[in-house]
Amino acid sequence: MTFGQALFMGLLQGASELFPVSSLGHAVIVPSLLHWNFKQSDPSFVPFLVLLHLGTATALLILYRKEWVVIIRGFFAAAFRGQMRDDNERLAMLLLTGTIPAAVLGVLLETRIKSLFASPYAAAAFLAVNGVLMLGFEQLRRRAERGSTRQEQEEHFARAERISFRAAAIVGACQALAFIPGISRSGVTIGGGLVAGLRHQEAVRFSFLLATPTILGAGVIEVPQLFASGVPVVEYVAAAVLSGLAAYASARFLLRYFRSGRLDPYGWYCIAAGLLSLALLRFGL
Amino acid sequence: MKSNTVAVGLGILGIIFVIAAVLYIVGGILPTFTSSSAAGTHTKHAILCAVLAVASFVAANFARVKTV
Repeated sequence: MTFGQALFMGLLQGASELFPVSSLGHAVIVPSLLHWNFKQSDPSFVPFLVLLHLGTATALLILYRKEWVVIIRGFFAAAFRGQMRDDNERLAMLLLTGTIPAAVLGVLLETRIKSLFASPYAAAAFLAVNGVLMLGFEQLRRRAERGSTRQEQEEHFARAERISFRAAAIVGACQALAFIPGISRSGVTIGGGLVAGLRHQEAVRFSFLLATPTILGAGVIEVPQLFASGVPVVEYVAAAVLSGLAAYASARFLLRYFRSGRLDPYGWYCIAAGLLSLALLRFGL
Repeated sequence: MKSNTVAVGLGILGIIFVIAAVLYIVGGILPTFTSSSAAGTHTKHAILCAVLAVASFVAANFARVKTV
């Protein structure tokens, strides 16, 4: 992988990780379409992905730094007391509840699922499926909406702290679907949050908060691989910084967008990009 | 669900996860229980067991009937 390719992949990963469009799917499809011949199954590629994920997780930590301090404090207070007394403590326990199924499924299934669906064709097909899922989530949501303006429609729904523990566990478990290249982690968690009765912006906030320990944990566990011989650390770190910057900008944009926006445009994008990629891959363009 | 029986059960589960985490770290768990084919240290599984242990102890504390 050249330095330019590394930077491009960092930008692509950071920009697409938090958008509901599957960063993994894009990371599999785009190099194939550009006829780049580096193998993502190669062991030397793992440290690269690790650093990119750490870049994204750092961006999320910076974005929600004040909130995480309150959440961590709330977690310890509630854990030792055995009782939740405010919304911050409840949110801390909801995040723990949502993270556990993702961690269990991640450790047990991630490698097997990724290797099963690692072809660009499968990623393109699942990207289209991801688009259908996004449209489906919004369709389900519209049925529950009341009111004529977007503000009225959103007011009927809850903040992240009010989601049920069962729903938090289901939304957390849905993250495992994102091990399939083409299916978006943020897409399924935002969609799950919407179906569970959260406002759009709150579903995005819950998705980002839920993603932080998962992405950070997955990255930190693989850190020793960075010290393997032959890893071009400087190039990879530069790509990770770019990934973090792109992720930070994406998160800020999405939080603003979902004040009134919906998942539909991303759903249509995924369907179009998935089908177009399938055609391009099939006809070798 | 507030019940001391449930709390004790979750506490025992937590202890089992702690033991499993330690065994994974020292490499004492047979390859059958891991996705890899070799025995040895399995950091991912160890960390997962540690997280599950913490979650079990927290859940046990929540389930415990509090005396005021």
